[in-house]
Amino acid sequence: MRAVAEHEVLAEHEVIDRPILDPALAPPFPVAALPVLRNLQLRRNVAHAIDVIQAKRARLVAEKPDWQALRASASRIKDEALQNLGAYLEQFEARCAAAGGTVHWASDAADARRIILELLREEKADEVIKIKTMTSAEIQLNPFLEANGVRTYETDLAEIILQLGEGEPSHIVVSALHVNRSQVREIFARRMGIENLSDEPEALTAAARNYLRQKFLSVPTAISGANFLIAETGSVAVVESEGNGRMCLTLPRTMITLAGIEKVLPRFADLEVMLQLLARSATGERMNPYTSLWTGVTPGDGPQKFHVVLLDNGRSSILGRKTEQQTLRCIRCAACMNACPVYRQTGGHAYGSVYPGPIGAILTPQLEQMRHAQSLPFASSLCGACYEVCPVKINIPEVLLELRARVTDQERKQVSRFFDSLYLGLRAANVIFSRAWLFHAAQRMGRTALRFFTRKDGWIHALPGIGAKWTQTRDLRGLPKQTFHDWWTDRQRRTK
Amino acid sequence: MRASLFITCYNDTLFPETGRAVVRLLERLGVEVEFRADQTCCGQMHANTGFRGEAFSQAKRLVRLYADAEAVVIPSSSCVAMIRDQYSGLFEELGNDALRKEFAALVPRIYELSEFLVDKLGVEDVGAYFPHRVTYHASCHGLRALQLGERPFRLLSKVRGLDLVPLENLDRCCGFGGTFSVKNAEVSSAMLAVKLDDVLATGAEFCTALDNSCLMHMGGALHRKNAGMRTIHMAQILASTEHQPVELIG
Amino acid sequence: MNPVISSRQQVLGRIRAATGNPAATAGEAAQRYGRLPRDYQIRGKLPVRACQELFIGRLREYDAEVAECAPDELPATIAAQIEASGKRRFIAPSGVPNAWLVPAAWQITGFECDIDHGLTATEIEKAEGVMTACFCGVADSGTIVLHHSATEGRRVITLLPDWYLCVVRASQIVETLPEYFDRCKEPPALVTWISGPSATADIEMTRIKGVHGPRFLNVIVVRGTGT
Repeated sequence: MRAVAEHEVLAEHEVIDRPILDPALAPPFPVAALPVLRNLQLRRNVAHAIDVIQAKRARLVAEKPDWQALRASASRIKDEALQNLGAYLEQFEARCAAAGGTVHWASDAADARRIILELLREEKADEVIKIKTMTSAEIQLNPFLEANGVRTYETDLAEIILQLGEGEPSHIVVSALHVNRSQVREIFARRMGIENLSDEPEALTAAARNYLRQKFLSVPTAISGANFLIAETGSVAVVESEGNGRMCLTLPRTMITLAGIEKVLPRFADLEVMLQLLARSATGERMNPYTSLWTGVTPGDGPQKFHVVLLDNGRSSILGRKTEQQTLRCIRCAACMNACPVYRQTGGHAYGSVYPGPIGAILTPQLEQMRHAQSLPFASSLCGACYEVCPVKINIPEVLLELRARVTDQERKQVSRFFDSLYLGLRAANVIFSRAWLFHAAQRMGRTALRFFTRKDGWIHALPGIGAKWTQTRDLRGLPKQTFHDWWTDRQRRTK
Repeated sequence: MRASLFITCYNDTLFPETGRAVVRLLERLGVEVEFRADQTCCGQMHANTGFRGEAFSQAKRLVRLYADAEAVVIPSSSCVAMIRDQYSGLFEELGNDALRKEFAALVPRIYELSEFLVDKLGVEDVGAYFPHRVTYHASCHGLRALQLGERPFRLLSKVRGLDLVPLENLDRCCGFGGTFSVKNAEVSSAMLAVKLDDVLATGAEFCTALDNSCLMHMGGALHRKNAGMRTIHMAQILASTEHQPVELIG
Repeated sequence: MNPVISSRQQVLGRIRAATGNPAATAGEAAQRYGRLPRDYQIRGKLPVRACQELFIGRLREYDAEVAECAPDELPATIAAQIEASGKRRFIAPSGVPNAWLVPAAWQITGFECDIDHGLTATEIEKAEGVMTACFCGVADSGTIVLHHSATEGRRVITLLPDWYLCVVRASQIVETLPEYFDRCKEPPALVTWISGPSATADIEMTRIKGVHGPRFLNVIVVRGTGT
């Protein structure tokens, strides 16, 4: 791994340092974004992918006159579920158990990993096939299982690309969107041992299909996530495109479903709203190819042993907070990151979490109970494009601002912040804004100081300290001799 | 009709010509403009950086200052959005009932410039003359928070001599975002570069918007590139007439 | 001795502390639920024939082959589709009427149809095609809904074979997704919603059909009543 010079365009096959998606270890966003900003290939891949989905989504939303009504209902249904989460989860548990499933509760990631490993050990499973679930990435399940003697096989095409290529997801729906076809070809040829593999998507997909067929038919234990849990019936719903989900849901003997506690909906009929919103938002389709719903165990059809692991891992700490609770409405459609102008430039890895983009910026620090990922709420220009497209109307900018306040409250207590130029500047500014005469004095002082940096053309081309961050790429017009206030006072005097 | 101008801290300091244009424009339309000398800042910078207590004290000051104003006109959609979207949260958390009432009474009298012209004065043709090719960037706060919609276009369409060139991706953020432009300077610059590609592709002489914050960011880079294109606040276009053409600075 | 608090108690305890929720009666919960806004479109607006045509149009957008026929033409239409497919080894669920299979059995050389009375996955793997009925068709999204009854079969049989023929009665077609939910007298235990063949866009957003699951979807819409 060699050092990358600024503005250097990396060759197509070059592997970047594996990004760190553990919020406890990842560098802050401004730092993590740097290598990505230099990777023009990756930025092109990201822009292409999100443009495709955005265009498809926009067309479908335009043809749906009740789109806003659906969003309104979806956000209220989720709020109803969240406000009464305990009752709905208990109802789900009872109905699922009555239908032959077993429900487990996991307080945090370690708890969930332990429960799942124990279940696998009960089955004497040394292999497991997986349907893509971001929740399992959140709890870092795969490395844990591998370390404990259980081989994991991802079955989602993007997840296979990442697993075999030892990469990390950069988007929550199209998780390998940062990988282009020749990179996929290289990974498959090497890891699947295929000679003469073309880089046509058809050929690559066929390679994946063949590679997995035997696994589906032979591995008796599967792990899935859940898009929705239905309290009324104890059912689980999984939304997918490829069919690997259906394979994992019907062929194995034992199914373990890992689901965040916030996934529960009150009733089966609530899916009439959610399913209309999800595919349009996620992939720009009226409906994704396959959605499966099952309830406990059905004799003769599908796994005869079924477990649900309900995961907290910081979600309950978001509940009950007036502004932040809406974070838990998320149905993981990724429309927010497709719309985000920041994500468009940085891709997902810069966020240092399996949940990137706008939702990641609010969810990740909160799941970490504000101990990590404190730079994420600031990784936004607050443009609001995410809120506009969110199918469950999460006011992401509002939550970002709330989290910024929480982070600042934490940080300003630290002694080191006393010398931070941004903190000093903001504290000074507040004093200055408290009195008009102080404000005017500061304006005069600022004008005088900046005169030193102002060139003959009236513009400033270079500033020291924190100002250098501005003048890296932008000029700044020199401060005019008269403020508006000065001009107005003058004018009043003249006209009197 | 009387209107009290809240110039905003950054316009006062960096873009006084925008304020002068607003005064000229409103007076030409028969509005009596007043300017309360005690004004400083709406608190947005502090609120957006997580300095709630500080933002609150500035918000309180603003509400008290304009309690009896007939109408407050603000040539900055981000500041109007701050007042409309964040003040009530601040007052809920840190204020008292009296302050909340004062604010509730004031907020219907707060106008962004294009809102004041189109909604309050009911005017679209302000008698402006600006014979140049212009492209319009829809600042995020104006577009999404204030839902300004067609107002800027209706105003621009009535400016004589103005050739409006549509901007590709006009609703895509320019990357300024306040302190974001400094805290995340590299990402901000990457977003700016993408924006400027679209802006320069219009071949316009001027790029306009209703927020000098965006224009400062875009204009600074345009100047650095020696692009020939300039930025200008829409107030200055609307204030421009044959007899008193626009005041260009820098 | 310290009582060990279970994860379940911990999680529910945290939730209760956060939401401060007093125990609501089922009646109260139902009332609250009933007050949720539902201003989205529930009923379809299209006349019957237009709705069917929309369904067929959406299916064709997914590259599904769609044929229409009258009830008495169904077995012949099935035979024609199978003939055209080139597939010969078939599976059908136990509830599929024998009459559906008769012309195919007579006219197509090599045609074999195993009835699924508990076939193993390996046996199902050998099949080239499958045919079933369905519960409902949703026109807006071109979705076929299976409740896996006796005429629709276990989930595995519509998954493994590469070629899938689904018989949809015109009376089963609704325009909107809420209308489908309206038709469920009770929530079903097993559902598969199928909207086109399996697909992926994971490689450079290029849509590829048929990763897992049938690559070929054929639908016969049976017009008229009494089928």
